[in-house]
Amino acid sequence: MQYVIIGNSAAGTQAAETIRKYDSAGNIVIISDEPHAAYSRCLLPDYLAGERSEKTILFKSANFYGRNNVATMFGKKAVDIDSENQKVYLGDGHTVSYDKLLIATGSSAFVPPIKGIDESGIFNLRNLDDAVGIKEAAKKARRVVVVGGGFVGLEAAYSLYSLGLEVTVVERLSQIVPGQFDVKAAAILRNDMQAEGIRIITGDGIKEIAGPSLWNRLFNKTGKGVLLDSGERLKCELVVVATGTRANVGLTDKTGIKVNRGIEINEYMETNVPNIYAAGDVAETVDVVSGELGLSPIWPNAIVQGRMAGLNMVGQTRKYSKMIGMQNSVEFRNVPAIAIGLTRTPDDCEEMVIHRPHLNYYRKLILKDDILKGMIFVGDIRRAGVYAALIKKKVPVTKFKQQLLKESFGYSSIIS
Amino acid sequence: MKQIFVDIDKCTGCLTCTLACAAEHSSSKDIVGAMLEKVQPRISVEAVNGKAVPLMCRHCEEPTCVDACMTGAMQKDKETGIVSNENNDQSCIGCWMCIMACPYGAIQPNEEEGIAIKCDKCNGREVPACVESCHTGALLYVDGKTFTQEKLTKTAKALTEAS
Amino acid sequence: MSDCKTCPSVDNCYSAHETVNQMQERLDDMGVDTVFTRYEKQQPQCGFGMQGVCCQLCSHGPCRITPKASKGICGASADTIVARNLVRLTTHGVAAYSHHLEELAKTIKATANGKTPYKIQDEGKLREIAKVAGLDLNKTANELAEQLADVILSDLRKDSGEPLAMLELFAPETRKKVWRELGVIPGGVHSEIRDALTKTMSNINTDPIDLLLTSLRLSIATGYTGLVATVTLQDILLGTPEVTESEADLGIIDPDTVNIVAHGHVPLVATAVLGAIESDEMIKYAKEAGANGIKVYGSMCTGQELMQRKGTTASNYSGQLGNWLSQEHHIATGAIDLVMMDMNCSIPGMKSVADKFHTKLVSVDRILRMEGVKDNVDYDPEKVEEQAKELVKMAVDTYKKRDKGKVQIPGHKSAAVAGFSVESILGALGGSLDPLLDEIKKGNIKGIAAVVGCTNNRNGHDDKGLTIMKEFIKNDVLVIAAGCMSSGAEIEGLMLPSAADQAGDGLKAVCNALGVPPVLNFGSCVDIGRIGAAVTAIAGALGVDPSQLPVVASAPEYLEQKAIADGIFAVSFGLLTHLGPVPPVTGSPLVTKVLTEDIEGLTGGKVLVEEDPVKAVEKMLAHIEKKRQGLGI
Ligand SMILES: Cc1cc2nc3c(=O)[nH]c(=O)nc-3n(C[C@H](O)[C@H](O)[C@H](O)COP(=O)(O)OP(=O)(O)OC[C@H]3O[C@@H](n4cnc5c(N)ncnc54)[C@H](O)[C@@H]3O)c2cc1C
Repeated sequence: MQYVIIGNSAAGTQAAETIRKYDSAGNIVIISDEPHAAYSRCLLPDYLAGERSEKTILFKSANFYGRNNVATMFGKKAVDIDSENQKVYLGDGHTVSYDKLLIATGSSAFVPPIKGIDESGIFNLRNLDDAVGIKEAAKKARRVVVVGGGFVGLEAAYSLYSLGLEVTVVERLSQIVPGQFDVKAAAILRNDMQAEGIRIITGDGIKEIAGPSLWNRLFNKTGKGVLLDSGERLKCELVVVATGTRANVGLTDKTGIKVNRGIEINEYMETNVPNIYAAGDVAETVDVVSGELGLSPIWPNAIVQGRMAGLNMVGQTRKYSKMIGMQNSVEFRNVPAIAIGLTRTPDDCEEMVIHRPHLNYYRKLILKDDILKGMIFVGDIRRAGVYAALIKKKVPVTKFKQQLLKESFGYSSIIS
Repeated sequence: MKQIFVDIDKCTGCLTCTLACAAEHSSSKDIVGAMLEKVQPRISVEAVNGKAVPLMCRHCEEPTCVDACMTGAMQKDKETGIVSNENNDQSCIGCWMCIMACPYGAIQPNEEEGIAIKCDKCNGREVPACVESCHTGALLYVDGKTFTQEKLTKTAKALTEAS
Repeated sequence: MSDCKTCPSVDNCYSAHETVNQMQERLDDMGVDTVFTRYEKQQPQCGFGMQGVCCQLCSHGPCRITPKASKGICGASADTIVARNLVRLTTHGVAAYSHHLEELAKTIKATANGKTPYKIQDEGKLREIAKVAGLDLNKTANELAEQLADVILSDLRKDSGEPLAMLELFAPETRKKVWRELGVIPGGVHSEIRDALTKTMSNINTDPIDLLLTSLRLSIATGYTGLVATVTLQDILLGTPEVTESEADLGIIDPDTVNIVAHGHVPLVATAVLGAIESDEMIKYAKEAGANGIKVYGSMCTGQELMQRKGTTASNYSGQLGNWLSQEHHIATGAIDLVMMDMNCSIPGMKSVADKFHTKLVSVDRILRMEGVKDNVDYDPEKVEEQAKELVKMAVDTYKKRDKGKVQIPGHKSAAVAGFSVESILGALGGSLDPLLDEIKKGNIKGIAAVVGCTNNRNGHDDKGLTIMKEFIKNDVLVIAAGCMSSGAEIEGLMLPSAADQAGDGLKAVCNALGVPPVLNFGSCVDIGRIGAAVTAIAGALGVDPSQLPVVASAPEYLEQKAIADGIFAVSFGLLTHLGPVPPVTGSPLVTKVLTEDIEGLTGGKVLVEEDPVKAVEKMLAHIEKKRQGLGI
C-alpha cells in the first residue's frame, strides 16, 4: 500500500502518524515544496521576534520521520494529479504513484492587486522563508507598515515592534481583527496595542506602494513607503502584507475534484474522486455552528482532519464529527482574548454581555433558543473550552443560563 | 491504567488537594514553601451552589488539548497515558489554544510564566499528591477498567458525556 | 436569588433590594470587589470549617475530624472540638456586648457629673428601674443614674460566683428556676469570659456537655447585660423609643448636602454629631463649602437607634441607608462624604470602595482600627462635643473633594415606622397589654415571631428574612424585627401600616384598627433585649413561663458572634429559635442533637435549622400552634 501525502504541516504529519499507527508495513511518502522539516507556522511571529529559533518552531520530534518510517520528498512541488492512473506529478519531472492520496496543501497568503506590490521590501508572513526574509530586511529597516489588521498582521506587527521597529498597521475596515472579533473586543485589543506604541490606522486602504523612484518623484525626497486612500503617506522601509489567505487548490485543476473555496470533502475526508482525500486549511468541511460547508483554516481543525483522513485512508472508518470552524486565541501584548463560533449577533439570536473596556474585560455570549452559538472572552480566558464544548455539543443552557457569564461558571456547573 | 476519580458527594471543599498539588509541584515540596514560591495548583475545586466539585484533567483518550497545541508541547504519553505540556521536546508558549479546547476547563493559564499548566498526574508518582492528601476519600486513584462501583461509574459517565 | 422578584436585576441579582443591585452593577463596572463578589470567590468554602470540626488551638494542629481521623492529635473528639469552638464564638459575642455596655455606663456616669453634652432623657424609666433595683428614690436623677451605672458596671466586673444583679431583677422566676437547676446562672460577665476562654484552651475542658452549658451561661449573661442592661441604659440616656416615622433606602441621599453616615452599633458619637450639625458654626462651614446643609444618615444598628428615638435623635436624622451587606453600596453612590464607624460591623472591604470615591472613613471607637484607615476620633464622653464638631468639619472638608459627576443615587426609598418598645406599645394600647393578649387569645393574632439578627448573603441578601416575615404575617403571626432585619423590612415597605394588606385577615384587622404595621420595628440588634422584655411582660401578664408562649425567634441570616450569643440566649429563654445558615456544629452528632432536640426538655427552647424560608415558617407555625394548644387558646 502506498500512501502519498502532499503537504508537510499540521494535517499532513498528523495523517502520516495516524496511518503508521494502524499500518506498519505500508509506504508513506510526504511531499512538500518547502525544504524544512515540519514546523508550526503559528510560531512564525515568535520566530520573527527572536523568541524561537528554527529548531524550536518544529512541532514534531527530530526523529519523527524516521520513527514513523515516512519517506520525505522535501523541496518538491506537486504540480498535477492523474487521478485515473493514481499518480502525482512533481515540478522536477518525477512522478509518484499512490494507492491513497491526501491533499493537505494548506493555504497561501492572498496578495491583493495593489500598485507597486512587486517592489522590493514587501513580504507576506506565511512560510518560514517569508519570516527569514522579513527578519533579514528588518535589520536594515526603521519603519514598517503592516497591511491588514487581521490576526496575522497584528502578530507580525507585534513581533516587529519587539525587534525595535516603528510599526504602523493599516486596516481597510473600521476595526482590527474584523474576521475574528467584534467591534468591542477589537477596541480593547487595539487600545492595548496602541498603549504599547504601535500605531493603528483603520478605515483606510493602501492606494499604492511607492518605491524609491516614485517616492522621489512624488515628494522630491529619498525614501520609500506607502500611500493611503486618504492621501496620507507612510514612510517605511519594509511592508508586510497580511490580507488573508487562499486555499492551495491549484493542483486539482485537471482532476475533476470538486472545489469551491477549498476542496469539498465528505465526513470521511474523501473528495469526490476515489482514493483522494483532503484535510486542513485546504479542505471544506461542515461547520457545526452554521451547518454550512466552508473553510476552517485553524490549527486544531487541521490536526483533527489530518487524523481523520489518516484513519479513513487506512480503512479505520471513522466519521469526522463536525467542528467549530472559527476559533481564535490571541494575546498580542498582555490582554488575552478568545473567540469561538459566531462573534456578531444575528437578529434571531440573543446576546449576554459584560463590557468593561476600562478594565480590559469583555464577555459576550451569543445564544439561539438557549443554545450557545458563539462567544468572545477578552481579559480573562479561563475555561473558554467549556463554552466551546457547549457550542459544539449544542447543549441547552437553560438550567444554568444565569451562571453562564460568571467567572465561577465551569464544567461542574453543567454536570450538577 | 489508573485514573483519578471523584466521588463528588464526599468532597467537603477543604481545598487540601490544591495545596498538596502545589506542594508536589514546588521545589520545596511542602505546602508552606509552595505558597512562598506562589505555585499554582493544577487541580481546582469548583463550586456549584456552594457544593464543592473537584476538577482536574481526565487525561482523555483523544485529548483535544493535544490537537489544539500549535507548538507540539502538549502530548499524550503512549505508555503512561499522561497528557502534559512539560518535559517534552517542544515547549509551551502560552497561546492558550489548549484552554480554548479543553471541555473541562482543566487547563489554567499561568500568566506570570506565560505557560499553560495542567495536571501531570504528578509525573509518575505512585499515587498523585491530591489523591493522597484527600481526607474524605473524595479523590481516588483506581483502575478505570476494573472499576465498577456504581456511583463512581456514574460520575465518570457524567464527565465523559458532557464533554 | 431565584425566588426573589423585588427588582429587574435578574442577571446580576445579589440583593433583595433594587438599589443595592444597581450599585453592585456600578461597582462591578468599576472592577471593585464587594461582599457579594468576594463571596463568590470564596466558593467553595471548607466543609470542615463549615461543620465546626477544625481546631487550630495548638501546634499539634491544625486538626480536623475526617473519615480517617475521628480524633484530633490530642484525642479531642468532634463533639469536643465543635462544642469548644461554639463556646469561643459565644464568648466573643459576650465580650463585644460588654464593651458596648461599658462605654454606655461610663457615659452615664460622666453625664451624671455634668461632663458630657448628653442629658438623662428618660427620668421616668430611670426611676422605675432604680425602684426595682432598690435604690433610694429620693436621690436626684443624676445621682440615681450614676448609682444604676455602678450596679451595671459591677455586674460586668464581679466574680463568676456572684450572680448577676440584672438577671435577679429582671428574669422571670420560672426561668431562674430552670437555669438554677441547670447550673447556668452566670456571675460577673468579665469573669465568665475569663473562665470560658480558660476552659477552651486546648487542654482544659474537653467535656462537650459542660462546654455547651458554658455556652448557655455566657448567653444568659449576654441576655441580661449586653441586651437588657444596654437597652435600659440607652433609653435612660437617649430616650425611650416612641412611635415615629422615618425613611429608608439609598434614595434618601441628598446630592446637595454634606452627607455623614453613622455606622455601627453604639449611637453615642452619632447622637453628638446630630447635635453638632444644628450649630450655626457648622451650618456656616458647610454653606461656605457650597453645600445646602449637613445630613446624618444611619447604617446598620446605629441608624436604627437614631431612628427610633422620636424625642431626640430622630428629629434631625435623615433616614436609614441599609444594613451589613450594603455598606459598600452606600459609598458607591459617590455622595457619601464621611462614614463614622463605631464599634463593630464595619466591613474591611469598605475601604477599597471608599478609595474609588472621595469618601473618608473614620473610626470613632478606640477598639476599631481598619486597614488603610488613618483617621481615628476615638470616642471620649468628656470630649465628644468637640469630637462631633471635628467629625462634621472633616465631612465638610471631604465634601469639597466630592466629584459631582460621579454621584449616582438610585431612586427608590420607602417610608418606615419605627419606635416600638414595651413602653410605646403599652402607650398605644392604653396602658395595658390586654387588648393585644385578647387578639392572641381570639386567634386574630396567632402568635409573635421575632425576626432578628444579621443579614448574610449565603442565602441572598435579605431575601430569606423578607420571605420569612411575609410568610409569618400572611399566617397572622405578628412580626417584631430588630437589627439588620429591620433595615431590610423598612426598605421593602413592610414597616408601614399599609403592609397590613399583605397580612392574613386576622392580623390585618388588628393592624388596621391600631394603625400599626404588621412588622413592628423594634430597632437595633441590641434591642433584642427589648423583645426579651416584651416577651417577659406578656408571660407575666398571662402568668406563664416564656417557653409556654406562642412565640418564636428567627435569625434567618445570622452572621457573627454576637448573633450566636443572642441565638443561644433565645434558646435558654425557652424559645424555638430558627437559624438560617447552618451554624458550624453539624460535625458533632452530640452537639447537633442537644441543640436541636434534647435541650427542649431542659430550657423549653431549641434550635431549628432550616434554610428554606417557607418550610422554616411552616415548622415555626406548627410550634406556635402547639403552644396555643398548650395554653388552651
Ligand atoms: C503567522 C501565522 C500564525 C498562525 N497562528 C495560528 C494560531 O494561533 N492558531 C491557529 O489555529 N492557527 C494559526 N494559523 C493557521 C495555521 O497555521 C493553519 O491553520 C495550519 O498551519 C494549517 O495546516 P495545514 O496542514 O492544513 O496547511 P499548511 O500549514 O498551510 O501547510 C501546507 C503545506 O503544504 C505545502 N504545499 C502547498 N502546496 C503544495 C504543493 N503543490 N506541493 C507541495 N507542497 C505544497 C505548503 O508549502 C505547506 O508547507 C497561523 C498561520 C500563520 C501563517
